[in-house]
Amino acid sequence: MKRDSHRWKWILVSPALLVLILAASGPLLIVAVYSFLSPGNMGGVAWDFSTDAWFRVFFKRDIFEPENVTLNADHLAVFQRTIWLSLQTTVICAALGFPTAWFIATRPANRRMIWLFLITVPFWTNLLIRTFAIQEMIRNTGTLNTALLWLGVIGEPIEMMYTDFAVLLGMSYVFLPLMVLPLYAAMDKLDFRLVEAGYDLYASRFQVLRHVILPLVKPGFIAGSILVFIPSIGAYVTPRVLGGGRSMMMGNLIGLQFGQGRNWPLGSALAMVLLVIVVVALVFYLRITTRETGGRDGQS
Amino acid sequence: MASREFNVRALPGFGAVAIFTLVMLYLPIIILVIFSFNESQSQSAWGGFSLKWYVAAFNNSQVIDVSIRSLWLALMAAGIATVLATLAALATTRVGRFPGQTMIYALINQPLMVPEIVTGIALLIFVAFLKVQTGYAGMGYMVAAHTAFCIPFAYLPIRARLETMDLTLERAAADLYATPVQAFTYVTLPLLVPGIVAGFMLGFVVSLDTVVITEFVKSAGQDTLPTYMLGQLRRSVTPEMNAIATLFLALSLVVVSLFFLITRKRG
Amino acid sequence: MRRPIPAERTKSLERQGRRRSTDGKGDRSLPDGDGQSGNEIEIEAVGKVFGQGDTAFHALSGIDLTIRTGEFFTLLGPSGCGKTTLLRVIAGFEHPTSGRLRIKGQDVVGQAPNQRLVNTVFQNYALFPHMTVAQNIGFGLKMLGRPRAEIAATTDEMMHLVKMEAMAARKPSELSGGQQQRVALARALAPRPRVLLLDEPLSALDLKLRKEMQTELKRLQVETGITFVFVTHDQEEALTMSDRLAVMNQGRILQLGSPHEIYHAPTERFVADFIGETNFLTLNVIAVQGRGADLALPGGRTIAARVAEGLTPAVGTTVSAVIRPEQARIVPQGTGELSATVEGAVFFGTDTHIHLRLSDGQPFTVRRQNNDDLADPAKGETVGLSLTPGALQVLRG
Repeated sequence: MKRDSHRWKWILVSPALLVLILAASGPLLIVAVYSFLSPGNMGGVAWDFSTDAWFRVFFKRDIFEPENVTLNADHLAVFQRTIWLSLQTTVICAALGFPTAWFIATRPANRRMIWLFLITVPFWTNLLIRTFAIQEMIRNTGTLNTALLWLGVIGEPIEMMYTDFAVLLGMSYVFLPLMVLPLYAAMDKLDFRLVEAGYDLYASRFQVLRHVILPLVKPGFIAGSILVFIPSIGAYVTPRVLGGGRSMMMGNLIGLQFGQGRNWPLGSALAMVLLVIVVVALVFYLRITTRETGGRDGQS
Repeated sequence: MASREFNVRALPGFGAVAIFTLVMLYLPIIILVIFSFNESQSQSAWGGFSLKWYVAAFNNSQVIDVSIRSLWLALMAAGIATVLATLAALATTRVGRFPGQTMIYALINQPLMVPEIVTGIALLIFVAFLKVQTGYAGMGYMVAAHTAFCIPFAYLPIRARLETMDLTLERAAADLYATPVQAFTYVTLPLLVPGIVAGFMLGFVVSLDTVVITEFVKSAGQDTLPTYMLGQLRRSVTPEMNAIATLFLALSLVVVSLFFLITRKRG
Repeated sequence: MRRPIPAERTKSLERQGRRRSTDGKGDRSLPDGDGQSGNEIEIEAVGKVFGQGDTAFHALSGIDLTIRTGEFFTLLGPSGCGKTTLLRVIAGFEHPTSGRLRIKGQDVVGQAPNQRLVNTVFQNYALFPHMTVAQNIGFGLKMLGRPRAEIAATTDEMMHLVKMEAMAARKPSELSGGQQQRVALARALAPRPRVLLLDEPLSALDLKLRKEMQTELKRLQVETGITFVFVTHDQEEALTMSDRLAVMNQGRILQLGSPHEIYHAPTERFVADFIGETNFLTLNVIAVQGRGADLALPGGRTIAARVAEGLTPAVGTTVSAVIRPEQARIVPQGTGELSATVEGAVFFGTDTHIHLRLSDGQPFTVRRQNNDDLADPAKGETVGLSLTPGALQVLRG
């Protein structure tokens, strides 16, 4: 009997798994393989084993003096920018998202739906459109500059496009709802009688936040942070539109190899590096969450 | 009473930051929408109200073409994904631990975890390979890619719905002589419908919105609306783009509202 | 265990000053002497309305109450009567819509809960799940900025007080209901408040544990001299533990007094009905004198009854009167004030309830202790009833 039901489960699940393996997970293996090949003449690959791609991820060889090996500063700058901007984005989203989630969670029940709707709509709006909206605001002839010029605050437009700042602004804007929603979910479950108990025991508002509220919504906070950090690392559209060629992130660097760069193995290797970073972040996340729940169940 | 009531739910400054954030969240979009009705071409100076960019968009055969393709693709991908996700959810929910469970969850959730760019280039390679081998260069690749991407998004609401369903209802059906198939058809499935619909809508929106995967999987002439827009953004942009974006926005709004109505009503 | 109040954190707390709690050691009669200073909590004409217009709900109306320092005061009533709301008003979590509230003479309505020297034992304990027992108990002192050594010492003392020393490092989820309750108590006592509010703290415990905790709480209150304001719907609990109690219903206080007064001299039908068992009789007023009235009993006799405060029954009208089942005895037929027919008897172990019907058809119950081997009267038998003199009370309703 048990074996029968197991078989049924597998039958039901297999169509989905098949599609996923063919069109999502399987190709990842191909990427791993391709990272060890040589670039083909017209793009594509030549089936010759080579570790050159991996080498090129981190290092640069002088064309004229092949013994001269240096760190690939351009690539490293991209890696650094990717991690740094993602961290900053996460912090900004946390700083703005926490009060927003709290605000929504403390609205009276009959009004709450409206606020939830308001925060969900941007979440479901196309990434590209939201990025485009930011572009329209910060372009030299865009809304922000025009307004500032008109007000006389500045004499000439501030160059905001194609900078790290633009990318940071764009990513914070685009990923903010991803921080708010899990935080809201955690706050919704918060037992406010615990908050009352805190005040009853002489805690100030700040102390209640620090000692009662924050520890209790930590899981939501962590979930939100991961939900912002990981897409940030892998961002492609936002840095492409707002950063152009000057503020490239890893996603763009990878995409480049499959376009103008014509170095599929390098692109594959870079993609593997990105994947590794994501996995590390995920493992980190799992560690923290199991530590939280493990600690709470406790052993005597 | 003169003094203010003590509100345990209030934290100083949070309300202000929250309102500020929400305003900032909507401001760029609102400006986008407003300037889609701009008479002049400028994105910053108001020249009067006009619908001409919408007219232009509707007359733009390319725009119509990519829009139809996007919608068709979304319907196909979401439809197939929802069916597959329903089966998968039925198999994996409300059952104890079983061997291979972790792997199945990993596979199902993978599109959520792996950055789109990585999946995109992986598919680029795979599709290029298949194109050479089979000579097929049609929409099949896109449908498969979108379907795979949509599965986890369809899976989540269905699973959530299934988990909160009252098991005793099915037992009651069995008690009343229903076979497993009948119990499923008459009890489980109808109750599951809101979750399935939610899953479909989620998948639909996700497919419509996907830029990166589509960008790397598509062959020539297979642009979807987002990839078309991405291409346009590199050149000079007219408010026609605003108009298209606004229409797209309106569609998202409709879908979100429907989603809210369906999921909240059942509570 | 009298200690000085901990150093206050805010100005308003400082204004309340350091006071030693008045000597209430084992003494149920409390110093009331100079009026104001013996009063811990003064509640004047307090009302609380939730909502507006048609959907307005009056949780409290016209509450006038003075709770004296060092007393064990109980708010008793059915669920929804407003007792918890009143407690929350005292704690500062609800703002009264009207009226005044003073703690130790000082108007506190504008004060936030974290500024009042009042601590609460919540109904569901509200223990912080992410902190250990020790951390929970020490929380109040930590918020007040007390030095670590003092916090540790007081925490130890409190754990010893509630016999939870072994559980210091446990988390609340690892404790039983009774243990959580004790931790909640210790946590509220640690900052040495002037007033301890207890919101049905024993309602989730099983009977045996409940009885144990009742004794514990009473002992604690007497030892520490802290003013306890206790909320419960269990009338037996209220009667055994309180120095004074207030019976509430639908947002109002129906009667205020000592357990003895409430039990033996109820002024409202609801109070008489809510507390213990009682006999309700509808009788005619023959004469009125002072605080008493003569009532006509079925069967022709007259009996002198007490009249509740504030009532002025008119001669010739019909009034409600109550008498407790244990204040009547079965006597041979022909003797006693009343004549009744036995309808049945129910055995309760320690005593027996005998149900009878009076000559005018009104039901009557007599409670008799089973301390002798007297047989119960037979069903259908006619007997006499003798009432304890002065036990009959005329009341409202």
